[in-house]
Amino acid sequence: MTTRTQTLYRSYIIEEYHLADEPYYVPVGDEIELFEAAYRQRIPILFKGPTGCGKTRFVEYMSYRLGQPLTRVSQRSGEDADDSDVQNGHRNIPLVTIACHEDLTASDLVGRYLLQGDSTIWIDGPLTRAVKAGGICYLDEIVEARKDTTVLIHPLTDHRRILPVEKRGELLEAAEGFLLVMSYNPGYQSALKDLKHSTRQRFVAIEFHPPPPEIESQIVEHEAGVDRKTAEQLAKLGEKVRNLREHGLAEGASTRLLIYAGKLMAQGIQPRRACQVAVNWAVTDDSSIHSSIAEVISSIFE
Amino acid sequence: MKQKTLRELDLAEERLEAAHSGLAATFAPAAEIVASELRDDQVIEWAEKGLEMAEQSVRSWEAAARFFEVSPAVARMMPFNYFMKWADCGSELCMESPTLAVSYFAASPGAMSRLRSRHIETWANLGRGLYKGTWKSSALATRFFEASPKLLATLTVPEMERFAGLLGALSHRSYDMAAECLAISEDIFPMLGEDKRAFIRLGASLTETTWRQVKGLFESVARALPAIQPDQRARFLRLAQGLQDSGKANLPAAISSAGQAMSQLDGEHHEPILGMGETLMKKTPGAVPSFIESCPRALEKVSISQLSQWFEQGVGILDLNEDGGLAYFRIESAKSHEALEILSSSVELSRIKDVMEMYCLALAGADVKLAASNELADKNIGWVSDEAPTTEGSTVYLPAQEGRYPTKEENFALYKVVSTHQVAHLEFGSFRFRYDLPSTLFDDLRPQIAAVPKDRDAQAAEGGWATDMQRFFDLFEERRLALDVFTIVEDGRLDAIVVSDYPGIRTSYLAVQDGALKSRPDIRSLPAREALVELMVRLSLRQESGLAAPAKYRDEAGQVAALARKVATPTAVVEDAAEATLRIYAILSQVPNEETAPDDWEEVDVSDTEGAEAGLDDQQLLNQLTQQSEEGQADEQEYNPSQDVDYRGEFKPELGQMMTELRMQRQEQPGDQEGEQITQEMLEEMLKSSAEVDLESGEGGTEEATGAFADNMLKEAGLNMPQTPEMGQGPLVHLDEDGGPLNPDEPQTFVYDEWDFRADDYKPRWCIVRQKTMAEGDAGYFGSTLHSYGPLADQIRRQFEMLVPEMFRKVRKLEDGEEIDIDDVIEAIVDIRTGAGPSEKLYWKRNKVQRDVAVVFLLDTSASTAEAIEEAKKVTDDWDAPSDPVEYMVWLRTRRGEGMRRSYKRIIDLEKEAMVLLIHALEAIGDVYGIYSFSGYGRENVEFYTIKDIDENFSERVQRRIDRVAPLHATRMGPAIRHATSKLEAQDARTKLLFLISDGRPQDRGYSREGVEKEYAVHDTRMALDEALDKDINAFCLTVDKNGHDYLKTMCADMGYEVLDDIYTLPNRLLYLYRRLTI
Repeated sequence: MTTRTQTLYRSYIIEEYHLADEPYYVPVGDEIELFEAAYRQRIPILFKGPTGCGKTRFVEYMSYRLGQPLTRVSQRSGEDADDSDVQNGHRNIPLVTIACHEDLTASDLVGRYLLQGDSTIWIDGPLTRAVKAGGICYLDEIVEARKDTTVLIHPLTDHRRILPVEKRGELLEAAEGFLLVMSYNPGYQSALKDLKHSTRQRFVAIEFHPPPPEIESQIVEHEAGVDRKTAEQLAKLGEKVRNLREHGLAEGASTRLLIYAGKLMAQGIQPRRACQVAVNWAVTDDSSIHSSIAEVISSIFE
Repeated sequence: MKQKTLRELDLAEERLEAAHSGLAATFAPAAEIVASELRDDQVIEWAEKGLEMAEQSVRSWEAAARFFEVSPAVARMMPFNYFMKWADCGSELCMESPTLAVSYFAASPGAMSRLRSRHIETWANLGRGLYKGTWKSSALATRFFEASPKLLATLTVPEMERFAGLLGALSHRSYDMAAECLAISEDIFPMLGEDKRAFIRLGASLTETTWRQVKGLFESVARALPAIQPDQRARFLRLAQGLQDSGKANLPAAISSAGQAMSQLDGEHHEPILGMGETLMKKTPGAVPSFIESCPRALEKVSISQLSQWFEQGVGILDLNEDGGLAYFRIESAKSHEALEILSSSVELSRIKDVMEMYCLALAGADVKLAASNELADKNIGWVSDEAPTTEGSTVYLPAQEGRYPTKEENFALYKVVSTHQVAHLEFGSFRFRYDLPSTLFDDLRPQIAAVPKDRDAQAAEGGWATDMQRFFDLFEERRLALDVFTIVEDGRLDAIVVSDYPGIRTSYLAVQDGALKSRPDIRSLPAREALVELMVRLSLRQESGLAAPAKYRDEAGQVAALARKVATPTAVVEDAAEATLRIYAILSQVPNEETAPDDWEEVDVSDTEGAEAGLDDQQLLNQLTQQSEEGQADEQEYNPSQDVDYRGEFKPELGQMMTELRMQRQEQPGDQEGEQITQEMLEEMLKSSAEVDLESGEGGTEEATGAFADNMLKEAGLNMPQTPEMGQGPLVHLDEDGGPLNPDEPQTFVYDEWDFRADDYKPRWCIVRQKTMAEGDAGYFGSTLHSYGPLADQIRRQFEMLVPEMFRKVRKLEDGEEIDIDDVIEAIVDIRTGAGPSEKLYWKRNKVQRDVAVVFLLDTSASTAEAIEEAKKVTDDWDAPSDPVEYMVWLRTRRGEGMRRSYKRIIDLEKEAMVLLIHALEAIGDVYGIYSFSGYGRENVEFYTIKDIDENFSERVQRRIDRVAPLHATRMGPAIRHATSKLEAQDARTKLLFLISDGRPQDRGYSREGVEKEYAVHDTRMALDEALDKDINAFCLTVDKNGHDYLKTMCADMGYEVLDDIYTLPNRLLYLYRRLTI
């Protein structure tokens, strides 16, 4: 009798995850040219901008565009990965995305020894993998990370391009294709969590804004699968809600929220209701702003 | 006491015992006390009085006994002669009835404490007057004396007399009722406040008419009054009196039910409702009870302001038909119900303002305010209607109430439609019209016209046009017609955009348009030119069929319709509206405003736009535009402006653009704008020519009205800042302040040295700081300020609260702690396996980082903070406090006076608001803080006001004090800083911060030395700050003086300072800085 084992999940080795399709991205300005130029010169890049305006999508798109297979990790997910993995023939520069949080330590990035039976084995952290593989390492929401991790990236971001791996007593030279990209949202971070100048001045900064209504409606139409008219209305709603920033709203409705609203509509939810749950209630808890946005929604949608 | 006296007293005692056994026992202890108060002969006189009374009759010993009992207490209250008077009165009463005398004496100690001695007799007679020799009257009079102490606590003697009179009158009818009323009245009078006569009079007049109801009156009043606001009770009774005077039957029942109605009402409403009751009383007293009784029911449906509208209508009905009016106020008539329904379904602007303001803000994408239309009319800048919606470029004005439709939902929808239309002016750029910008739908005529010079153009061109809109309207001879055409075309354009861009509102929008159509005048009743204009209005309101036009001008009508419709598309811009206006005007100018016979009308087919447009020739139109108008024909009527479409309200493109530009001009930095500034002359020029302003209606001549309008407009835009009169820039007199060190001569005064930088030494004991506690004002200021900052205040507070969790940091890698860190342990084991020395630091713990901050805020409340904020942008450096005291006072008055006259915010207001927000936030994190303000006049008068002392807990008193912070005198910073430093020094905190908020350089009378005016003050301040630093106190200066950099560099060499470019950011910035500085 044979038992057939079936793998219920798909797992990829960090450097080998390929994005099958081209990520959808509509350029708003000259960000593609800027990114390409900076990449060629290996200048680290900092994305600034509010949440949900396409920073992560852009870096995915760029990694695809630059002709690389794309790899995604969430940190510590690669425990069963084997670093003896052989690079296959062509030049292959992965994208390693790391979501930063306040407990993110240097070891989480660089790597650590683990116990295996009676012996210890070294596991590379995602940053080390990116450095070795020569990929783009994307540190999302960098200001959330602990201060010691930001210092860790300093030698990687100047002419040295090295990563000291203290535990193993080695200095890792970054592979040719390696580039550090990070993002941060200057809007809601408190004064405490500002980026140090010694860090921020190692990057060129590309600013992201919510796209203008024409482009935004195009994006919403594509992503949410709604018709053009609905997409335009959603974009209009986004624009109007953003007008309320500084008037009690900490952050306007992101493109992502508009897409969510569109997706709900595509599933047959009434437009007003969809906007209410996806936009109105998502952006604020203030009841007076709620009612105002509700009026805007009811003006735009039937 | 003499032997003789004692003997006499012994004798008296014996006689008393003889009169009644046991009386001597009452007398002896009293005599002992009385003897210590009175002279010997007086004691004897007193004893004899008692004796006399005791021997009067069989039962008079009881009165005598009570007399002796209370004598010690009474004797102390009055001189002897009155004391005897009191005894005599008792004695006389005793002759009438010993029982009466007993109650008289028993009540005396209580009554005498309230009664002046000279009124004793009056009082005794009042009681005596009630006694008519019968048993029942004796009971009443006794009750009267018993109740006296309580009554006298609230009644004056004349009132008491009246009341006794009332009781007397009642007793003629029924002694029982009088007694019962007396009992109830004890409870009533304390509730009445000052005016008791109203009630007594009411009782008296009722006694005359229907005495049986008097008890009912007393009872109903006693029940009703507690439910009524104390300050309104007298009014309530006066109303009752009015009812009584009018011959109302059953008054007690009316009072009781009115009182019950009042008890169901909100206390705040008593005043207005009684006010309405008083109005009604003058007309139809009979309606008053029904009205008051109906109020609770009515108020369930409507607000108090709507109630007064309902009331007004009722009064109107009452005038016509009394029965109808009475039914109305009982809410028993259809009209009354209807009025309430309409009112209750109407929507008041004040209730929806917040929501709608935010809505408008979202739509416009600019800072839009919402206000009631009458506010704009009050500003007297050209808009006149109290009700019509409109906008002047930054604020949308809406009617204060809307009740046109039967339901609240529909009325709200109407508000929404109206605001959407008004905001559309801002959103889709009505005021962004540029003369030189091309249109999108037409071949532009404007550049071609410019080539044809005209007289009035040339004239206007000399002065230049203040706005593009003015330039555009200058093209037309008949401005009023042009304005109407432009208004209709532009509004039509906006409506088209709104309906297409906001499908959600389309249904209500179309409904409102339908409604507007109904109130339009009949085209056929108008003369030809007006008829064509009306045709356009109707077309813009989407009337497609049944549009009539004079047959004679069929083609013109078609052309006008085609042009107007062309612009009514979502993609049209304001310049398209302008081009269409040019063409339509050209056509209309050829149509005489003549009457058309009823048979000569024809229905116009407006669907064939292409055909109609084909008939237009730009060149011909151009000719029509530029040619001088011919003399009007005889039968031509004057053109009457088109009636405004109600939901669109008053549209004033010229004024609107003017206001917008003026505001921009204010925001721009002087010197860096491209165009030229709009001057008052240009403004007046525009006002004179504009068809939007009715100058004749104003008071005084046209010239005056123009000037007033222009002034108001500038003020409204925040521009009218007349140069401050030159103040005392006299020769700077050397005033080295003769005299030497000062001594603090009063409590709460402190003396400080002052630094003289020229002498490079301190002037010892040079300044006196007088510490005072700020007077208390209204506590409401605090709450309303917080409210006005709304979400921002809470946001700031949240940000501060977020500081607190930061205090608990997880500290890793410790040798000992709460728990072992599993990561570190694994690392250690790995280290052991790999042969490296493991770290022993395997623990983590939560480390409580104690926030330990003490801070003092020092507010500069010098006279200059009274400046309106816009004015503060001016160079404040060119003045200085005059040294001469007389000049100084004049200077001070001018400066303060200026501040008072302005209605805009002053620097001090923002300082106060910042303090409110700060307190709100600081209370969240529990830092120790003190807030002080300082000012002063001269070195011996540095005023240092405590708003919140550093050791004081936050309380309502602090809130009250903030309200009273006001601009005072000059700014002698040094001593104030030194005093604040001393306060901080006494605090035991790790971080100490001194936060100075000022509006300019330090200055004061004599705060200077000859020739080195400004430096002296700056250096002393700097030295004071240095001293603070030496004591481990961090100082930070925040100034709103834009020229602050120059002296702040010197003043705060080692310290932080910041110059605020935009004073409006003060509250926000202050809190931000505070967070940064104390972490």
